[in-house]
Amino acid sequence: MDVLNVEYMLGLVPVLLRYLPLTLQLAGIGMVFALILACLFAVVRVLRIPVLNQLTIVFISFFRGTPLLVQLFLFYYGLPQLFSALTVIDGITATIMGLTMHFAAYMAESIRAAIVGVDRSQTEAALSIGMTNGQLMRRIVLPQATRVALPTLMNYFIDMIKATSLAFTLGVTELMGATQKEAAGSFLYFEAFIVAAIMYWIVVEILSKLQNYLEIRLNKAYSR
Amino acid sequence: MKALLSKILLTISLVASMPLLAQDNPLRVGMSGSYFPFTFVEQDELKGFEVDVMNAIGEEMGREVQYETANFSGLFGMLQSGRIDTVANQITITEERQKAYVFSDPYVYDGAQVVTKKGNTQVQSVEDLKGKTVAVNLGSNFEDLLQELPYADQINIKTYESNLERDTALGRVDAFVMDRVSASQIIKEKPLPLELAGPTFSQIKNAYPFHDNEAGRELRDEVNQAMATLRENGTLASISEKWFGTDITQP
Repeated sequence: MDVLNVEYMLGLVPVLLRYLPLTLQLAGIGMVFALILACLFAVVRVLRIPVLNQLTIVFISFFRGTPLLVQLFLFYYGLPQLFSALTVIDGITATIMGLTMHFAAYMAESIRAAIVGVDRSQTEAALSIGMTNGQLMRRIVLPQATRVALPTLMNYFIDMIKATSLAFTLGVTELMGATQKEAAGSFLYFEAFIVAAIMYWIVVEILSKLQNYLEIRLNKAYSR
Repeated sequence: MKALLSKILLTISLVASMPLLAQDNPLRVGMSGSYFPFTFVEQDELKGFEVDVMNAIGEEMGREVQYETANFSGLFGMLQSGRIDTVANQITITEERQKAYVFSDPYVYDGAQVVTKKGNTQVQSVEDLKGKTVAVNLGSNFEDLLQELPYADQINIKTYESNLERDTALGRVDAFVMDRVSASQIIKEKPLPLELAGPTFSQIKNAYPFHDNEAGRELRDEVNQAMATLRENGTLASISEKWFGTDITQP
């Protein structure tokens, strides 16, 4: 076996670091949009708003039922074939759109489950002392649902960060794309990809720490 | 983050005003950035034979060249959806592709080459691929070339997104098929135990594909004209010498 080329790896770190912000932006913006969309879906599903409920069910079914890469190809290469004006959508936008819809489908279900999971007796109690629906949601249901949903939502965010590595297929040079091209120039695959792997890993570790912190805070009311 | 957000909004608003966009843009060229030594990256700099040739063509035409890199499997999608004007990635002229695109004059003449792990005595030529596992790049022309062989049903073809030379060196597949030029280059320059197995088995001509419409054909004619000049004044040959030690731009 060849000796690991440490010098090459160290030289690669600053180069690849330039692409880390884009990776984080893709996932960060995707997460914000996905959360908004997922909350809307969850509300529609919990309240069973007619028509919207059925549409949401189909949407969730499709975006959970097909691979993200297929969805990205559909948005980026497929749609412009039908509507040529959609060519203006660049790779970054298409990636964010894909991440948003794909992960919103998953997150909608865990948010819905968290809301439904709050015991019905609490709702009845709140209504019996005269709380409005809004107060009920804000004061009773959502704080508890947030605590339940947080770990899975963080999981999806972590998953989303890693899913950005598909973006190079749409011509977006993020961390993975940059690594692939550097590896092609040096043929030092192990060295290049281990540097990228460690970068992803560190980012996810930092997020896990953040998750722990948030969980402890949200659990304060329950700990003795 | 803010800048990106506003970019998205801008994009959305641009969808409406699309037809007003001017055509007088730089020449948009797609490449994988991961096909040594044609197109690759070293310390964040895009390099290679394709880059040098395209830069020379752009200079000759008096047009700026803008490179878009994407996974090879995405390049034709980008061309098809009008996001790039052409692909500079050793695209071989095939009947299939000619149905969808118009091609420039060839600028690389090459052949398909079997490559094995060093010391492999079982595979010495393309005939020996019977009953063997052979790697090719996904979406590349070499899969079709293998399928055209009379004993194609006896070859187990495996398609790769990337890193097929690594898997051959590791012994995960018996051989890979690639163009002779880049195969020789990989063997010469990189620390992988590989060797050429026998002669090339099919001549191929590589050129630039363009959209099959008026604008595409016009652009192709301009590129052909620039290439003819570069061929005459020896620029093409010298770029080839620089990367391959031989002139691959001649038949």
